[in-house]
Amino acid sequence: MMRAGPSQEEIRKHNLGTLLRHVHLGGPTSRAELTTLMGLNRSTIMALTADLTAVGLVREELPRDTGRAGRPSLVVRPESARVYVLAFDVGVDRVAAARIGLGGVILDRREAVRQRGPFDMAEVVGMLAGFARQMHRKTRADTVCVGAAAAFCGAVRKSDGVVRIGPNIGLEEGPFGDELSRKLALGLPVAVGNDANLGALAEHTRGIGMGCRDLIYLHGDVGIGGGIVVNGQLLGGFAGYGGEVGHMVVNLGGRPCGCGSRGCLEAEVGERALMEHAGRYGEAIGRDGVRAVVDAADRGDVVAQEALQRVGDWLGLGVANLVNVFNPEMVVFGGMLRELYLGSAAQVRSRINTVTLAASRERLRLRTSVLGDDATLMGAAELAFAQVLADPLEVLARFAP
Amino acid sequence: MSQGPVLELRGIDKSFGPVQVLHDVAFSVYPGEVTALVGDNGAGKSTLVKCIGGIHPIDAGEYFFEGEKVQVNGPRDAAALGVEIVYQDLALCDNLDIVQNMFLGRERTSGLVLDEAMMEEMAAKTLAGLSVRTVKSLRQQVSSLSGGQRQTVAIAKAVLWNSKVVILDEPTAALGVAQTAQVLELVRRLADNGLAVVLISHNMNDVFAVSDRIAALYLGRMAAQVRTSDVTHSQVVELITSGRSGELGLRNGNGAAS
Ligand SMILES: Nc1ncnc2c1ncn2[C@@H]1O[C@H](COP(=O)(O)OP(=O)(O)O)[C@@H](O)[C@H]1O
Ligand SMILES: [Mg+2]
Ligand SMILES: [Zn+2]
Repeated sequence: MMRAGPSQEEIRKHNLGTLLRHVHLGGPTSRAELTTLMGLNRSTIMALTADLTAVGLVREELPRDTGRAGRPSLVVRPESARVYVLAFDVGVDRVAAARIGLGGVILDRREAVRQRGPFDMAEVVGMLAGFARQMHRKTRADTVCVGAAAAFCGAVRKSDGVVRIGPNIGLEEGPFGDELSRKLALGLPVAVGNDANLGALAEHTRGIGMGCRDLIYLHGDVGIGGGIVVNGQLLGGFAGYGGEVGHMVVNLGGRPCGCGSRGCLEAEVGERALMEHAGRYGEAIGRDGVRAVVDAADRGDVVAQEALQRVGDWLGLGVANLVNVFNPEMVVFGGMLRELYLGSAAQVRSRINTVTLAASRERLRLRTSVLGDDATLMGAAELAFAQVLADPLEVLARFAP
Repeated sequence: MSQGPVLELRGIDKSFGPVQVLHDVAFSVYPGEVTALVGDNGAGKSTLVKCIGGIHPIDAGEYFFEGEKVQVNGPRDAAALGVEIVYQDLALCDNLDIVQNMFLGRERTSGLVLDEAMMEEMAAKTLAGLSVRTVKSLRQQVSSLSGGQRQTVAIAKAVLWNSKVVILDEPTAALGVAQTAQVLELVRRLADNGLAVVLISHNMNDVFAVSDRIAALYLGRMAAQVRTSDVTHSQVVELITSGRSGELGLRNGNGAAS
């Protein structure tokens, strides 16, 4: 049977979403620019803008300072202070929550240290829901929350947000999204994604990788996570576990990994490997630990230098494999890998330069994250905005106060 | 990326009295790229940079800018081309604030009359364009800044006037780990914004972290200029310490150019 073409209503929904996405990602945009970007005529853009303005998703106003004479054309801006999502991030040592406005503006933000040890679902969910309530209490009456999502340092099933395994945070088969949604009690489902996948999304849409269609984001947080963007799309895999490069084996029979295997990238490059090689395991954790080793190496500590060389060598091998397979335009080092890359780049790049195809690496750009500690949180916000961007009017009608 | 060099030197000789410090040096820098200039202490890196900046007159050789042969007879000539150098000693005034420092010595050369509000706005825009968020107030005195923040101000000052080439002489030498990371990211961002950047550094991690090309000076001669994606750490160390590495570098041990 032949499928009927899209209806008028479907086309309008699609165009509304596309226009909203342009101002969400690109900030204030003039009607003229939108006309060019979307390939539609002026009157259609005007009608779409009017629809979005009527429900309070965007507003039109004069640009702030044009610096030019003559009548400036109106720009369409996202209603960042009015339309927002709740974004959450669960890392090994930190939990964070933020209220993020349309356009990617952090309106409010809370975070707390998480003690290492077994994962306590009730405690983490309680803490995040508490943050959300505190932030909610401070909002004006006309604001509207259009979604919620969380980044989690584990492998997450796409269909239901269940964390299948988070070896570094001690969680297996945890229905994190459902639990948080229930505790929030806002009538909102909480979408959950792997933290590195969402970090990749954030760096791709608003970070160092803007405009890159092929990008790999590597996230260091005790272990190593990865998010792979191919031709502008995040590689999710069949069930959502795509991009787990931390468990790519680089050293057959090497160091034991939290996943049960040996010689995984994160077993050779993760926090424990670095700290043990440096003879400092147990002295400091997280970023402080990595910085202490890089600092000692800078001051001439030979053990620290060798530790960084060893770890940098494995990191380079891991990146090299990814470069050969994906031919990315950019590899971004985020989380603790920022410090680790900068402190061992000679090793990392030497390894890449010796084991990749010259053609695959010749235009490769290696960069550190620009979103830094907010990358995963910003990525969660993008996930939370997905619905309103897909069908702006329906979602707003559903959630408007 | 396959654009030609914005700045190119050929056959540069430079002596101080009887001592020849630079021998027949060729050096090219490209827009959008970081070129690391490496070499042992005394190899001639700072001297080469001062020749580029018009501080030292060259004895022989040619200076091309955007493909045109030019004469650079002093720092003003270099600045007029859009070549800015951030020297090791930074030359900031401790008792002036950030905005004043960024415009120091520039009010007249620009030919514009700038009021304080305008200067503050330009300084703020420059720092924001570099994604610098580490300074609290632009009206802070420079004496209250950390080493990394001072370096940042000096770099921002260098890019304020639409410069095309920015040369940084060991910008991370005196900094701790956290500040080094910030300065390296700033260096990378300058190039990603389209500038040609030259980074002098002794730290091979810094060099490999941010550079696109590496130029190695050995005893005043350019041993090799290579793409960073084509070499290893040990090859670069060999170029620095002996002027050659396998097929790369100078042909004979006493440093005659290949
Ligand atoms: N103004 C000067 N007068 C005399 N000799 C100098 C002067 N500047 C540099 N030199 C000499 O030139 C050589 C190269 O120095 P320099 O360019 O500072 O090297 P680098 O920056 O690579 O360490 C050294 O032997 C140094 O002593
Ligand atoms: Mg020097
Ligand atoms: Zn593993």
